[in-house]
Amino acid sequence: MRLTVKLPVVIGGAALAAIILGLGYLGTRGQPLTRNVPAEKLRIALPVLPHAALVHVAAAKGYFADEGLDVSILPVSYGVAAIGDVLQGTADLAVAADVPFVIAVMKNDSLGMVASLVSVSNDHAIIARRDHAIAAAHDLAGKKIGVSFGTSGSYFLWAFLIRHKLPPDSIALVDLPPDRIVGALANGSVDAVATWQPISFEAQAALGQTAVSFTEADAYRTTFAAVGRSEFLKGHANAIEKLVRAMLKAEQFMRSHPEETLNLVVAWLKIDVDALRPTWKQFDFRLNLLQSQLITLEDEARWAMARGYARSGPVPNFLPHLYLDALLAVEPERVTVLR
Amino acid sequence: MKIRSKERLVTGMGLAAIGIIAAMVWWTYSEVENANRQRRVTSEIARGLTELRLVTFEYRLYHNERARVQWDAVSDRVDRHIANVRFAQPAQMEILAGLRKKQAAGRRLFAELTAARGGDREDAPLDDASRRFEAQLLSQLLTYQQENFTDAYRLNNLATERIIDAQRRVMIVILAGLALIASSIVGASWFLRRDVLAPIARLQQATRQVAAGNLEFILGIRGDDEIGELSEHFDAMTQSLRKSFAQIERSNQDLAELNEELKAFSYSVSHDLRGPLRSMDGFSLVLLEDYGDKLDDEGKDALERIRAASQRMGYIIDDLLRLSQVTRAELNLTRVDLSAIAREIADALDREPSGRSVEWAIESGLSVWADPALIRIAMQNLLQNAWKFTGKTARPVIRVGALERDAKTVYFVADNGVGFDMAHADNLFGAFQRLHHVDDFPGTGIGLAIVQRIIRRHDGKIWAEAKEGEGATFFFSVKESENGSDEQDHPAG
Repeated sequence: MRLTVKLPVVIGGAALAAIILGLGYLGTRGQPLTRNVPAEKLRIALPVLPHAALVHVAAAKGYFADEGLDVSILPVSYGVAAIGDVLQGTADLAVAADVPFVIAVMKNDSLGMVASLVSVSNDHAIIARRDHAIAAAHDLAGKKIGVSFGTSGSYFLWAFLIRHKLPPDSIALVDLPPDRIVGALANGSVDAVATWQPISFEAQAALGQTAVSFTEADAYRTTFAAVGRSEFLKGHANAIEKLVRAMLKAEQFMRSHPEETLNLVVAWLKIDVDALRPTWKQFDFRLNLLQSQLITLEDEARWAMARGYARSGPVPNFLPHLYLDALLAVEPERVTVLR
Repeated sequence: MKIRSKERLVTGMGLAAIGIIAAMVWWTYSEVENANRQRRVTSEIARGLTELRLVTFEYRLYHNERARVQWDAVSDRVDRHIANVRFAQPAQMEILAGLRKKQAAGRRLFAELTAARGGDREDAPLDDASRRFEAQLLSQLLTYQQENFTDAYRLNNLATERIIDAQRRVMIVILAGLALIASSIVGASWFLRRDVLAPIARLQQATRQVAAGNLEFILGIRGDDEIGELSEHFDAMTQSLRKSFAQIERSNQDLAELNEELKAFSYSVSHDLRGPLRSMDGFSLVLLEDYGDKLDDEGKDALERIRAASQRMGYIIDDLLRLSQVTRAELNLTRVDLSAIAREIADALDREPSGRSVEWAIESGLSVWADPALIRIAMQNLLQNAWKFTGKTARPVIRVGALERDAKTVYFVADNGVGFDMAHADNLFGAFQRLHHVDDFPGTGIGLAIVQRIIRRHDGKIWAEAKEGEGATFFFSVKESENGSDEQDHPAG
């Protein structure tokens, strides 16, 4: 009689204990161990561009601090300047387009790419003056085109010309820093400009009805990446891993909270939300290191040599310049680089 | 809460847990099936993309028609797979949209590539612009294919993750369901122990105590469930029993006192009343013998009447004493040969100097579980009655026998005497009740009352059936048992 009463209690107790342990195990899976170590300092040169929004969101939402990083953001106007900060040692990391990264690598600067952060189709455009007899792509032949040398804008212009079978030397290139592009086009000192958003948007707005825009999605897709000196990346592997983890959190947040993200970004860029909204959907924020990236880097290397940004020679091997360790440690499936 | 409600609650919880688990298993099965379907399609897409890269490479090398045709065929197949695959998760839908877009861009680029070559021979030289153009197209195509390949694998991985997630979720639900079932069992066990088994154990103890005679025991289980109600009724029952026993005790006491009074009365009757009666009879006899010659016939007749009356009163006193003794005598039950007793009484009656001739029909082998002395008195009275009431019958017959009625043995004494009107049957067994005038059939009217008392002492029953002028039959039954002392009766108080 005693046994019949106690047996269910014993069985029930054992089952409950096993279940609680099981649920506890399932609940704790995948959670990182809390580490009580001092925050590591990182200086990131960040272009004030929508392309760099992911890093801004990570900083604004406190994901860097959550990972134990003390990140200082150094605002710059574009990627070339950001890489310049890294090369000069005033920043540890830079966010920049792949083009200035390729040029820097080809100048024997020992840089490494932590991860590609965003890719944008139709990011670049050629904005031309209709009143300068430009109506179609072929009308660009013989015209003066303003572009920031060594930037993704200049690579886009090159790819555009090839796509339309226009010889590169059929146009006259004028080197303009990003902040002078709109003015030069507006005052007619150039017939057209090749540039990125939101400058292309501003240039088009400045010309109004006179503007004619040319895009070529299949010619070039902009990619912005987090880059740093290879020695620094290898020497701060732990910090870079945390950086990647924080940026992945930001990516997740941007997907799940698109409107809040847009508001954060326009506040940071100090532009009107309606100015960014039409093109914002073209930004695909996703951390990865893809095999296809190597093809683009090599294409850009060929262009760099052809345009004189680097010495002629064989196309360099970019594989050692992709810092795979951090992303492999955190989310290896995001690395498709053959290895 | 009632035990039934608790039982329903526990059963409901258990069934709900099982229902949830079953629903989750079914849901997981559909999830896994769906995800497996997605995985199969994404694997097909990845295979198609691998083949596309192969034929792109072949076309890049030879610019041949066969490679172009195959490129189109494989691309069509990939497009069909992309069009047919269905995803519900936003992440999967986003990847699929990108895949679809890049696949379309790839088709566009390849079409441009083949159009640029036009009718040129495979090895026709290209100008600088065309070479750069083709290189750019191929490079871009390669990039798209590479990225599509990655996307196809991402879709495949997401489908796999979906399966793993579904399995993990069902594991959690099963564990939670098991926890619910386990807690239901523990709860039911605890409840069973506290609210059912413990009270039942106490109830067992209470019944033992009451059976042992402790009517003071109070169960005292409070609660609004069935056990609480049972306890309340049990305590009410013991309280009622206590009252009844107290009343019985008082009645017994009264009966004992009455018995004592009856004994005193009997003693008084037998001693105090018999003395004067004997004096009346004796002195009447002395008067008749010593002064009979001085009395006329009327005086003698008066004295004879005094004597007869006093003698009759003596008989009545004897019968009353017998009736009293029958009631109080201790029963010594044993197997008694009823046939033998009947024959002995019949012989004794036959020997009486009345000159009567009665035909006796006494069944052999009649036996009864009874007190021998008392059953003899009963038979004596019944047979004397039959003898008496057949006194005026031409050919008197008295029968003694037994028959089975309602699976019980019923004994009878029957005669063909004067019988009686059944309308008066209810008065037959009352003391001093007579259905015939004393001058016709003498007697005290106590005989049948004595018989009834004896039969009742044997837990039996007696009744009569008769018809005027045709005789009467007296039936009786007694408790048939030979089981030891517990069947022993005690003298009535």
